[in-house]
Amino acid sequence: MVAALKRPGLGRAALGGLLGFGFGYGLVVVLRLISGLPATQTAQTGYPQLIVGMITAAFGFLIGLGAFDYWFRWAAGAPTYPAELEHKAHGAHSWRDYFKFNTDHKVIGIQYICTTFVFFFIGGAMAMIMRTELAQPGTQIVEPGTFNSLFSAHAAIMIFVFVIPVFAGIANYVLPLMIGAPDMAFPRLNALSFWMLPIAGLLFVGSFLAPGGGFDAGWTGYAPLSTGAPLGQSFFNLGVQFAGASSVATALNFLVTIITMRAPGMNFWRLPLLVWANLSTSLLVVAATPFIAGVQFMVLFDRLLHTNFFQELNGGDVLSYQHIFWFYSHPAVYIMMLPGFGIVSEVISTHARKPIFGYRLMALALIGIIVLSYTVWAHHMFVSGMFAWLRIPMMITTLLIAVPTGIKIFSWLATLFGSKLHLRSTAMLFALGFIVTFTIGGISGVMLGMVPIDIHVSDTYFIVAHIHFVLFGGSVFTIFAGIYHWFPKMTGRMYDERLGRVHFWLTLVGMLGTFVPMHWIGMEGMPRRVADYSAQFGDWNLLISCFSFLLGAAQLIFLYNMIVSWKWGPLAGDNPWRARTIEWLVSSPPPIFNFDQIPRVVGGPYEYGVPGARHAILGPAEAEVGAAEPAVAGSAGTGPT
Amino acid sequence: MEAHAATVEHAHGPPEAHQSSRIDRQTLGILLFIVSEVMLFGAFFASYFFLRVVANVGPWPPEGFDLPTAVAGVNTAILISSSFTVHYALVSIQRGNRRGLIAGLGATWLLGFTFLFIQFNEYVHIGFSARNGAFGTIFYGLTGLHGAHVTVGLILLAMANIRAWRGHFTSEPKKHLGVEVPGIYWHFVDVMWIIVFTTVYIL
Ligand code: HEM
Ligand SMILES: [Cu+2]
Repeated sequence: MVAALKRPGLGRAALGGLLGFGFGYGLVVVLRLISGLPATQTAQTGYPQLIVGMITAAFGFLIGLGAFDYWFRWAAGAPTYPAELEHKAHGAHSWRDYFKFNTDHKVIGIQYICTTFVFFFIGGAMAMIMRTELAQPGTQIVEPGTFNSLFSAHAAIMIFVFVIPVFAGIANYVLPLMIGAPDMAFPRLNALSFWMLPIAGLLFVGSFLAPGGGFDAGWTGYAPLSTGAPLGQSFFNLGVQFAGASSVATALNFLVTIITMRAPGMNFWRLPLLVWANLSTSLLVVAATPFIAGVQFMVLFDRLLHTNFFQELNGGDVLSYQHIFWFYSHPAVYIMMLPGFGIVSEVISTHARKPIFGYRLMALALIGIIVLSYTVWAHHMFVSGMFAWLRIPMMITTLLIAVPTGIKIFSWLATLFGSKLHLRSTAMLFALGFIVTFTIGGISGVMLGMVPIDIHVSDTYFIVAHIHFVLFGGSVFTIFAGIYHWFPKMTGRMYDERLGRVHFWLTLVGMLGTFVPMHWIGMEGMPRRVADYSAQFGDWNLLISCFSFLLGAAQLIFLYNMIVSWKWGPLAGDNPWRARTIEWLVSSPPPIFNFDQIPRVVGGPYEYGVPGARHAILGPAEAEVGAAEPAVAGSAGTGPT
Repeated sequence: MEAHAATVEHAHGPPEAHQSSRIDRQTLGILLFIVSEVMLFGAFFASYFFLRVVANVGPWPPEGFDLPTAVAGVNTAILISSSFTVHYALVSIQRGNRRGLIAGLGATWLLGFTFLFIQFNEYVHIGFSARNGAFGTIFYGLTGLHGAHVTVGLILLAMANIRAWRGHFTSEPKKHLGVEVPGIYWHFVDVMWIIVFTTVYIL
């Protein structure tokens, strides 16, 4: 027992969390007593002893887990050794290793995907409760206050601990393999990034236990609603900090890995588009996420220390919250979409067996999107009372983003053009479904970009329709496409393709049935974020609720398929899709250190149907290769950095 | 899972990653980290802009808020000089001069600590708190955020100091990254202070 608590692991982590909480709580109490204040403070927005306690508990948890063991040794000047040689902390030898601090990018990828899907189902269950409540006008099963907490937590969970990190998880698994690297650049930082996620998720879910109920100011947490809200809001503020720190650290890791660890010959114009997508996403994350961290700190300070960032009466500026928030959160919608673009490019090219049409333009369109996405934030604020002169410039830049986005859509269509489309592989189905649903979401986005239309439908169900077409029809579809595509690689086994197709069609029908009518009732004026509504919308809402239950049920098929196939599915072989990128050249699942020898890249990644074309060569030099192409060393590193 | 077990061989480690860029991982990492730090400051500067330019009516700083610009100016000089000492430490170890390294790092740490101490003292005597109007809020917001970064920098430098005493750094190219990387961060903290100082105390 005692020995178990000394070894790094979940047991010691739990102990660390408890001790950390006690430390933080005690610290605040002592400091308050010293300054002559009452020991604890339980005013609505306050509870400093709990807030500090939660922060120190999180660090205690991480320390207990062993996340800082190496760095502590380093700090103390003791000898250190690289993580790969710490056998216990690198690679999975049994399922237990997935519950430990592990530095293998493949283990971390699986950890990410499984954890985020847990949150996907929790957030989904919240949606089901909301749809039950909304099936009819009046109050069904939850009070309006609880409903507010439900939609806030639903969105926060889906955005911060599902969509954003699940992409990081998928990329964690495949990206180092794709570029021919033995691991990520900073394996320990990588593991630390992952373990901050469950903390964020627990804070979001746990907020329901806070006195005064869960946070209810929406995922946007606008001031002054958030600065005056009960304790639960602070859980949101802290959760966003942990999720944000996690994604900044991962993004930094991806950037360094992509720039400094590509295999010989892998220059920037040979990178698979998934790598390009994560390169551009990571640039967005590193440069935009600190803004939401900053603004959540300000809210926390206003709540706890009674500063005046957003207190209009004391000289603060309440609208500055929205400006700073959206300066992050508009780029964030691309953080939630670009990795999906990368996945879809891989899936379409592989399953259609065609080279990507306009590969370089695809990569440049990504860069265009990230640059433009910093210039459009105020299209979320057309009705907020902000400077009127800002509206038209924001409208123009918003509409401009449709250009690079359109380029990508047309490139995928051109890639598909003339290929033999068979609707049998689930990954391909989801990619095709994505093109349809995302395009619809993009079109409603362009409509919203136009000031007059936006003023009409602001804060109605039209917005809900838009965000779900881009986030469910966009991001989630690509996530499913990616999971099905790489499932054989990650587990070594094949999933049930028939169940996969059932999952796809039910999801598509459920998704369209749920979100298409929302456009209509939104135009008619049904407000979003309400537990009750006028009787005229009753029939539509009943229909929407029915379809949403279908949508929810379809996800259980997915869950069943994944679990059963992981355990009992037929062996998949190394390359069931006959794909070209490097991750398919190694065994399934890949060996613990990925490669015996770093592969050499000799051509583009998508040259399907090109006679004699090769992307990469594994293993010792073959004679025929020597002449193929000189390996690009050193000089390859001068890409867009 | 069986497939995993079969491939587990401890006999050999991972293959050496191919170095595809001239810049090394640690340096690139700290530079990217600094980019995100700059943006964090950016959020607070954005708030400063809104509080001062958009929301404020009347003079800035408002009546009754007097800043000890002279003391802060001296403090600025102290922090800037620490950038030179940390650079001296790096140059010393590159030439194999361990004494210079230890002296430089030690001086940097002491200068940084002095800066923090003077700033703390300033907080105590300044006569307004973060609750006093928008000015109090953003004054403490910006200088406090910066102070937190100085603290982080001091922690990093403390580690570098310990390892310098123990003789872990040598003049070979990759054998003094532990001085170079915190040094880059420290320069960033200094430059950031010049911007914060100019904005808060002078403009
Ligand atoms: C061509 C592309 C797009 C355009 C032109 C566009 C435009 C807009 C506009 C103008 C709004 C503000 C509506 C309002 O609140 O009045 C909006 C809201 C929103 N968009 Fe998009 N959008 C696009 C793509 C995306 C993508 C790819 C995502 C995410 C994957 C996304 C996620 C959201 C979200 C979450 C909101 C609602 C934010 C809230 O809660 O208020 N959008 N979009
Ligand atoms: Cu936007």
